[in-house]
Amino acid sequence: MTLESVARKDFRDALRSRWLLGLTLFFALLIGGSTALFYGVLLSGAGANSETLFGLTTAPGGLFNFSYAGMLGFVLALIALVTAHGSLIDERESGTIKLLLSLPNSRRDVVFGKLVGRTLVVLVSMLVGFVVALFAMLFTGGQVMFVSYAGQVALSGLLATAFVSIGVWLSATSASQRQALFGTVGLYFIFAVLWSTVATGVPRLVNWVIEQLGLTALTAPQIVQMRLFIKYLNPLRAYETLVAELYGPAVAARLFKAGLAERLAIESSFSQSLPFYFTGPFILAILIAWIVVPPLLGYRAFEKADL
Amino acid sequence: MAAIELNGVTKRFEDDEGLFDTLLPSSEPDTVTAVDDLSFSVAEGEVFGFLGPNGAGKSTTINMLLDFVRPTSGSVRVLGHDAQAESVAVRRRTGVLPEGYEVYDRLTGREHVEFAIESKEADDDPDELLSRVGLTPDEADRRAGGYSKGMSQRLALSMALAGSPDLLVLDEPSSGLDPAGAREMRDIVRTEADRGATVFFSSHVLAQVEAVCDRVGIMRDGELIAEDTIEGLRDRVDAEAVLRIDVDGDADLDAVRALDGVSSVESDGDRLVVGCTDDAKTRVIEAVEAGGATVADFETDSASLEDIFLAYTEGDDPADEPEVAA
Repeated sequence: MTLESVARKDFRDALRSRWLLGLTLFFALLIGGSTALFYGVLLSGAGANSETLFGLTTAPGGLFNFSYAGMLGFVLALIALVTAHGSLIDERESGTIKLLLSLPNSRRDVVFGKLVGRTLVVLVSMLVGFVVALFAMLFTGGQVMFVSYAGQVALSGLLATAFVSIGVWLSATSASQRQALFGTVGLYFIFAVLWSTVATGVPRLVNWVIEQLGLTALTAPQIVQMRLFIKYLNPLRAYETLVAELYGPAVAARLFKAGLAERLAIESSFSQSLPFYFTGPFILAILIAWIVVPPLLGYRAFEKADL
Repeated sequence: MAAIELNGVTKRFEDDEGLFDTLLPSSEPDTVTAVDDLSFSVAEGEVFGFLGPNGAGKSTTINMLLDFVRPTSGSVRVLGHDAQAESVAVRRRTGVLPEGYEVYDRLTGREHVEFAIESKEADDDPDELLSRVGLTPDEADRRAGGYSKGMSQRLALSMALAGSPDLLVLDEPSSGLDPAGAREMRDIVRTEADRGATVFFSSHVLAQVEAVCDRVGIMRDGELIAEDTIEGLRDRVDAEAVLRIDVDGDADLDAVRALDGVSSVESDGDRLVVGCTDDAKTRVIEAVEAGGATVADFETDSASLEDIFLAYTEGDDPADEPEVAA
């Protein structure tokens, strides 16, 4: 009950500040505009369907890889973090939280009410963007694959929610707005830039240690699997591959951007049977874990904090 | 049952541990004891004034009642509930005017009050609450971001009054209010007390406390150094009275100085200014007349509560203060 009133108040605040309006325009232009541009201008009348833009684009030999979801994921994550990273610390620093908590709201209501409020802000604006894109496809004669498109919108919503969760977690654990800001920038950098280095580096490091110990080194498929497993722990990559699976085969979706050597090492065994930890449901579970776990950690910290 | 009950409550603040402090080895731990082994209780229906200079630990104590801050040790019970474990239950029956709060810039005054009513699941009329604190409907429709400090304070008070709380906790309620506003605040406190609510409020403005409180507690350096009624406090402090005497003829100043309870004697032509204890006044007059001078007129200023307050809070060492118990 009070969780709901906290969420409603937070959403109203986003309305009043025009943040919601700004985001909605932004997503309408970004998602709607790019779709209109693609189907209306670039592929005008070429009988394109949703997959042409939203599926994976891989030039032969892997020279050129493009994934619309991968790109949109970067933007959604950034917007969600920006929207959420101040949710609690701003109120703590200004002192409005004292007004909020002098009423019979529990700290749980406040953390999860904020999570709901900010998530709605990002989801509503994002949805408008996807609706505009849908109309853009319809008007430009692109063939809409409704089921895949709905799945794509749903996954985008999950990704945005995951990053709102991460933002709320940062906001709840930070002792100042500066900390929350640095934490946000740092985490975004890790997810968007650093992760692939880690995913590549960890198997090599493990292999090096094993070799030093004089044990049998990892096989090439093992190294590839380890790298891919770490890669898909990243919500951005999990989202990208799940969207790709909506428009194409799972194996291609998992091996997107994999090098030729990696493909040779693993593609045939993947094609026979995909290990359960690379299946769609498992990766979806990872994405959902990013929604569930961070706010719980944030709540634990916020619950103990002196305001 | 006591409305508020603190038992051996201590609060030490450590260096705030944020995300980075958790990751990085922290520098020297910085500990401040804000409240030190504090015990007192406030009875139901009582109006209790919580006095003390800035930094004495008043707000920390209040923040512990509201679970904004957790005690390092000791127990805090409010309205029969554990202030920490059952904080929501406490706040459901408590109206709070916190210290160091800020209103929501983008919500109107009325929306603030509506939010308070909704959170407390009460059925008050927002306009009635707003008019009680002197905010006009026009002002209530404006966004609170443009409010003056005094208007914000009135708004927060009206939020505190929502749901006819059993306990009002007001932290420095008159700060930001002009004298008229401060008087309205006192009237509201009295009305609430008459309704049967317990009122606990902190202040360093003594006039506020003197006028409305049944009992006061004085904090200093995290400890409660006095707890009594205003009259009781007055009696306990052996405060200075100032006696001004207009004399005809020469008074024997040395004889007056030699009297018990006289601390200073100054002569300003026909006027004597004598600092002495309350009970020494008669002896002073007698001594002046015995010395051959005639007392034409005299007036006395008794110590004000201000003097008492200063006597308590500005002493060198709390241990030197008169031992005071409830």
